[in-house]
Amino acid sequence: MIKMLTACGAGVNSSHQIKDAVEAEMKNRGYDVSVDAEMIKDVTPEMMKGVQVFLPINKPDLGFDIDIPEIDAGAILYRMPAMAQPVYDKIETEIKKIQA
Amino acid sequence: MHAIIQFANAVFNPIIQLGAAPIMLIVLTLLAWALGVKFSKALEGGIKLAIALTGIGAIINLLTTTYQQPLTDFVKSTGINLSITDVGWAPLATITWGSPYTLFFLLVMVVVNLVMLSLKWTNTLDVDVFDIWHISFTALMAMYFGANLFIATLLILLIGVLKIINSDLMKPTFNDLLDAPDDNPMTTTHLNYMMNPFIMILDKLFDKIFPWLDKYDFDSADLNKRIGFWGSHFAIGVYLGVFIGLLSRQDPKEILTLAFIGGVCLELFSQIGSWFIAAVEPLSQGVTDLANKRLNGRKLNIGLDWPFLAGRSEIWAAANVLAPIMLVEALILPGNRILPLGGIIAMGVTPALLVVTRGKIIRMIVIGAIEMPLFLWAGTLSAPFVTGVAKHVGAFPAGLHAGTQIASSTKEGPIEQYLAYLVGKASTGQIEFILYALLALAAYVLIFWWYARQMKKRNAIYAAEKEQANAEA
Repeated sequence: MIKMLTACGAGVNSSHQIKDAVEAEMKNRGYDVSVDAEMIKDVTPEMMKGVQVFLPINKPDLGFDIDIPEIDAGAILYRMPAMAQPVYDKIETEIKKIQA
Repeated sequence: MHAIIQFANAVFNPIIQLGAAPIMLIVLTLLAWALGVKFSKALEGGIKLAIALTGIGAIINLLTTTYQQPLTDFVKSTGINLSITDVGWAPLATITWGSPYTLFFLLVMVVVNLVMLSLKWTNTLDVDVFDIWHISFTALMAMYFGANLFIATLLILLIGVLKIINSDLMKPTFNDLLDAPDDNPMTTTHLNYMMNPFIMILDKLFDKIFPWLDKYDFDSADLNKRIGFWGSHFAIGVYLGVFIGLLSRQDPKEILTLAFIGGVCLELFSQIGSWFIAAVEPLSQGVTDLANKRLNGRKLNIGLDWPFLAGRSEIWAAANVLAPIMLVEALILPGNRILPLGGIIAMGVTPALLVVTRGKIIRMIVIGAIEMPLFLWAGTLSAPFVTGVAKHVGAFPAGLHAGTQIASSTKEGPIEQYLAYLVGKASTGQIEFILYALLALAAYVLIFWWYARQMKKRNAIYAAEKEQANAEA
């Protein structure tokens, strides 16, 4: 299973939309993916341990550097398949890299 | 005719008797199903809303029953009357989504948005269905204080139109703050940004009086890193529990109980808040699909929930610094009855400060501290209404003192709550309130108009800078 993490303001709305959409789409594409949805201010280096892909909205200033792939997942929130497609494709590319 | 009414009563009365959670389960399931969602998925959403309402009720019960006596003792030992329990925004969102009226106000706002788009009054398509609860909250509050459904709808029509106009006004600033290209469609109609006009007045005063303070701006991300877990929900619950326990002179065992129950409740409120996102999901998709079908091909900005800005560390640095300031203000502010707890991380306050000041952190903190009383008073004013709705949707414990109330200390849109109060009172026919309401509405619109002019000036400068950059390239 590939572990990912997404984050928004309260860890309640936007991040859960991304979590649900990514998990569903990757299942359709035949991958086993689990996405954690967090409050962005609570994201710490420890929390990042074991996470393989970070899916933020835009480019957050976390106050520390991360060494895993970071894919801006904000476009998923538009709810239009054509706009979300490139995000899913990028995620799939990273999954393939991890599995290779 | 009589037979029809009798039949309708026979069908609907038993359903209405079931209470809010089952009604919303049925309504949301059927609505999602009608919008083309698979029945099992639709039912999953409906059940999640029902268990979120029930869960929020259980946690409110735990929090209020545990804190009731200590808060009473707190009043006795300190002489400060802060008896309203601050549950933060998540329970308010949940119970507002527990009211069937919310679906009606959602429909009204979708129609308003589509009409404004077709008249070219705006370029924003709002797909943030979840946050319709802010509009519904405002309307329900006006109705609580005496407005009928028609007047309440007129009030939210005004606020809703201004909110959508505001999302267009803020768009270039969002691109600046996010360092985003012009084709990025992210914007927001979130109610918290309706504080912008008021903040802008203070920002202009700041320009005149304290411009030299800006040079002390510090690195926000660094401050947040240092604060670490102390800013998270459970930690805040724990140390505010200790604070209340000490000031109300409880014994050590009781103080620790308050601390840990505070931590549990604050942590769980936001967890439970996320359960019913799944219930709203099919509605959000349905509204978006419907709008897209009608606007084939037109390029639009898309209104999201506010946190696409949450990656800007100033939002959290300002909230962290404002938390203790708010606590002190709450203790000394005349007319305030709410002790900050669930709402103490003021994320309903700081995003608007970021947008107006464009990340000048000292200004955000100073202006935030100045405007904070508006939020505390609005929390106090809304408490009987919030408590009433919680009772109505079955999310409030029965066995508490009659005077026990809940509210949120930093609920977005304090000014809109005052408007709701005044419009509600005016609707009962009291002459002086009719006068106050009209004056307040006029001031609200005038200040917004002034703010819109300032934002247009700002946007013209952005456009000119871009042109210059293009010319040089």
